[in-house]
Amino acid sequence: MLELKRALDAKGHCLLEMPSGTGKTTTLLSLIVAYMKAHPHDLTKLVYCSRTVPEIEKVMEELRKLMNYYEKEMGMEQNILGLALSSRKNLCIHPSVSKEREGKVVDGRCYGLTASFVRARHAADDAVPICQFYEGFDAHGKEFPLSPGVYNLDDLKEYGQMKGWCPYFLARYTITHANIVVYSYHYLLDPKIAEVVSKEISKTSVVVFDEAHNIDNVCIDSMSVKITKRLLDKCSNSIQILETTISNMKENDSKRLEKEYKRLVEGLRDASIARETDMALVNPVLPSEILEEAVPGTIRTAEHFVAFVKRVVEYIKTRLRVQHVVQESPAGFLRDIHTKVCIDRKPLRFTAERLASLIRTLEISDLTDFSPLVTVSHFATLVSTYTKGFTIIIEPFEDRAPTVPNPILYFSCLDSSIAIKPVFNRFETVVITSGTLSPLDMYPKILDFHPVIMTSFTMTLARPCILPMIVSKGNDQVAMSSRYETREDTAVIRNYGNLLVEIAAAVPDGIVCFFTSYLYLETIVSSWYDQGIIDQLQRHKLLFIETQDAAETSLALINYIKACDNGRGAVLLSVARGKVSEGVDFDHHLGRAVLMFGIPYVYTQSRILRARLEYLRDQFQIKENDFLTFDAMRHAAQCLGRCMRGKTDYGIMVLADKRFSRADKRSKLPKWIQEHLKDTNCNLSTEECVQISKRWLRQMAQPFSREDQLGISLLTIEQLQSEEMQKKIQQRAQAV
Amino acid sequence: MDDYQTCPKCKTTKYRNPAMVLMVNACGHALCESCVELLFAKGSGACPECKCPLRRNNFRVQLFEDPAVDKEVDIRKRILKEFNKRQEDFPTLREYNDYLEEVETIIFNLVFDIDPTNTNKMIDNYKKENKDITQKNRNRQSQEEMELEELLENEKAQQSEKANLYVNAELEEKKQKHKAREKLIDELMFSDADAKSIVASHVQATAALAKEQPKAAAQSGSAVVKSSKFSSGIQIGLRGQHTNSFLPIPKQEDLPLYRYIAPIFDYDGPPPPTIETLGKLNYFANIRAANVTERAGGYTEAMSCCRALQEAMGGLFYSPQSTHKTAVVTTIHSTQDTDDMETT
Repeated sequence: MLELKRALDAKGHCLLEMPSGTGKTTTLLSLIVAYMKAHPHDLTKLVYCSRTVPEIEKVMEELRKLMNYYEKEMGMEQNILGLALSSRKNLCIHPSVSKEREGKVVDGRCYGLTASFVRARHAADDAVPICQFYEGFDAHGKEFPLSPGVYNLDDLKEYGQMKGWCPYFLARYTITHANIVVYSYHYLLDPKIAEVVSKEISKTSVVVFDEAHNIDNVCIDSMSVKITKRLLDKCSNSIQILETTISNMKENDSKRLEKEYKRLVEGLRDASIARETDMALVNPVLPSEILEEAVPGTIRTAEHFVAFVKRVVEYIKTRLRVQHVVQESPAGFLRDIHTKVCIDRKPLRFTAERLASLIRTLEISDLTDFSPLVTVSHFATLVSTYTKGFTIIIEPFEDRAPTVPNPILYFSCLDSSIAIKPVFNRFETVVITSGTLSPLDMYPKILDFHPVIMTSFTMTLARPCILPMIVSKGNDQVAMSSRYETREDTAVIRNYGNLLVEIAAAVPDGIVCFFTSYLYLETIVSSWYDQGIIDQLQRHKLLFIETQDAAETSLALINYIKACDNGRGAVLLSVARGKVSEGVDFDHHLGRAVLMFGIPYVYTQSRILRARLEYLRDQFQIKENDFLTFDAMRHAAQCLGRCMRGKTDYGIMVLADKRFSRADKRSKLPKWIQEHLKDTNCNLSTEECVQISKRWLRQMAQPFSREDQLGISLLTIEQLQSEEMQKKIQQRAQAV
Repeated sequence: MDDYQTCPKCKTTKYRNPAMVLMVNACGHALCESCVELLFAKGSGACPECKCPLRRNNFRVQLFEDPAVDKEVDIRKRILKEFNKRQEDFPTLREYNDYLEEVETIIFNLVFDIDPTNTNKMIDNYKKENKDITQKNRNRQSQEEMELEELLENEKAQQSEKANLYVNAELEEKKQKHKAREKLIDELMFSDADAKSIVASHVQATAALAKEQPKAAAQSGSAVVKSSKFSSGIQIGLRGQHTNSFLPIPKQEDLPLYRYIAPIFDYDGPPPPTIETLGKLNYFANIRAANVTERAGGYTEAMSCCRALQEAMGGLFYSPQSTHKTAVVTTIHSTQDTDDMETT
């Protein structure tokens, strides 16, 4: 809180690592809301970005609690409006559209019912279907803003049903004057969406990125483009559609095309005015240069533009017809496209904007067909805009199947700072927080910003409720490691198996194991079968395995929880970086022990990764190894953090690899784990590990009541106000 | 899904004959290589689809999936050779854009055979009107191209430089680590001091080293970062300035003015008479007087006389120990002479 307040006062960015389950969300919310109340002019809005829908819901729940508390203490209705925003898929209440499962389809159909020209047509002809909810919103919703309160997704839907207003558009409209907005990262980081949704958020907002340990990857994904052969074929189809619509329109209604043409001649000036007055968030896909200039003459008329896009698509097709891997810079690509098909850089830069304009003019209501073409246009714009920080990799086949031709063009962003830069520049305070952000100093480097505060918090605990251990060898003294050289070694695999079996015999309820990759998981499990380890394991607990299939995994997860709940005990084998390691919590009996088999390095042979490493090395002076270790350790920490979701929880964390005990790896674990990792626990054999955990479990199993925590990790109001405590707090505040 | 390329004449597909190559000519209709050979055995003939007369040596390998695109690119290249005005040639951007659109329309018309007579007239008109500009621009690269070229070169240079740098740095680091370890082992083996203290001091030393290194890296890094200030690569405000700028004016450094110091000759012998006193001492009696032509070139007999005397007296006191010294002195003379020449 102290640090956060300082960052708010200094109007700077901050980076906070707080262990999960210690009330991170509540702390952030309560302080920022209090700050908002105290300084209503300096701080007008809180934008809280989280990763998934369940997480968004959790935040809303916390906010509701906070508001209820305010109401109880202050005794009156609070004038604060908080709401959650998600995609159309999660908010739609249209009877038929909401039945669709795929997000893109919902978006497309919604657009088909709510676009301005569709509604104009409806006015002329009643047979054209429209969305009555959107109509309701449009007719009345804008005059009556939402009354203050906390609205999560379900509340919004209910409210929408009641009033007959579309909750999605209601939420989007309300964002501009809501005090607290909770939504997903993408609404702020993905330039294509941010342009639409987050454009008008005022400068004096605080932005919080929760669970931000992967924020650099989100940034990179939002700026990268992947083009496959299939996508290009679809593009050709949609180009044909465009051609026919244009010729139709020319015959029937050439006025509209003319109007568009005139507007383009004048240039995209209106957008530029908005930017000058600092109304909107800068969009990295649309650099300001474009706004100042008119659309180049080569692509001004619709037919010319379609021919232009066709040439681009055909050109990319020829590029995909390669026999070996090609890697080149955007500059090289631009030169090649100029010599091969005579396309200059400037018209390329306008592609995305021009395509959007054309689709609007042609009144095409079904946007889903055009998404491949939009992707290509984004690619064209990006490749001609950025000459640095990007690379183009064309792979004729996948590494795993070199015989099957499957050409893919990756336009990959190497610089995570590009996407997030507008956010840092626009908002005064950006808070990046997660349970596992260690090593902290890496984030400012790769995101290219200067935090005023950068702290890792530890927990004050009444008892040592986590037991991290590094197991480096088996009972036979053979070193355990997932190193590439020893991967296939049966001795190592057997030792891993024995470790799991013995732990499973000693630890009650649920155990979660993490492997470095799906491939490794599969090979190990198959050789465990041969060695009879699976049989031994099943004597103690049930066994569940995570697979790449999401449905299968969630089924395994449900059954795992069931097995833990009824006391049978279970083991879940899963993969670091997988679904289980990212979003699922194993609190209390669901995860009494976490085992990390090996260090979860990324697949280092991937060319995209190699390119990124090189870029990081050249631009930010980050050594390859440092980044790889950083990435591996943050995922390891993320996996370990799964079992600790609160102060009353307890769990064993076993790091089964010799390499973890090295100083460079150990020091990169979060502080709250390092604190409990004693030197004596850093080089254990399987037997010693089991001994220690047995003793520790006995200690932990003692009844633990609220009274035990009082005075240490939980303070009553009297204790808090006692002189001794106040002194302590003062001291700590001055020490920082 | 993937419809294989088919020759419209003989219906061979790429699937059945992987060696098949499709060719296109000016009309934009494809034919496979063997059909081309068969139909155009005489060197010219009509296109089997549109019946337009074609020459055999105008057939090229089809580059794109859609032969129409091949045709368009072909026409475009031809047209752009003529229509190569640059933005610099127009007073406003608007006019340039209008020009671009006109070019595009011409190409479009040619590709789809719309109004061919008028279009050709337009092209001819243009050719006549803008002959000199076209010629001039042909040899000039556009600004954008130059920018790209520059970027590519920079990239290449940077890459090789960086690669070398990092390889060396890594080697160096490895060496240092190895050395430190050996030193520790040596110390542990031969020193009498407490083993613990040796290890502790070693750890301190390595920690200090490690601290220093990032500093050095940061220093070298800051220089790099400055040169590439915009990581996004957008060169805002810089465009047009650095591409057609002049060479930087050579900077003159302020050095103290040159002052002539008469050389001190060390003849290693008795001092010879100076050039002014030669006449008085009557040396000229013994040599041939300079004739008129020689005087005209600035020669006087005093010069050769003085030189002869210097030669005669120089080195009379020579002794073998001082060889080195004299040699040095003579070289100094020669350099000073050249200096004099430059200043005068």
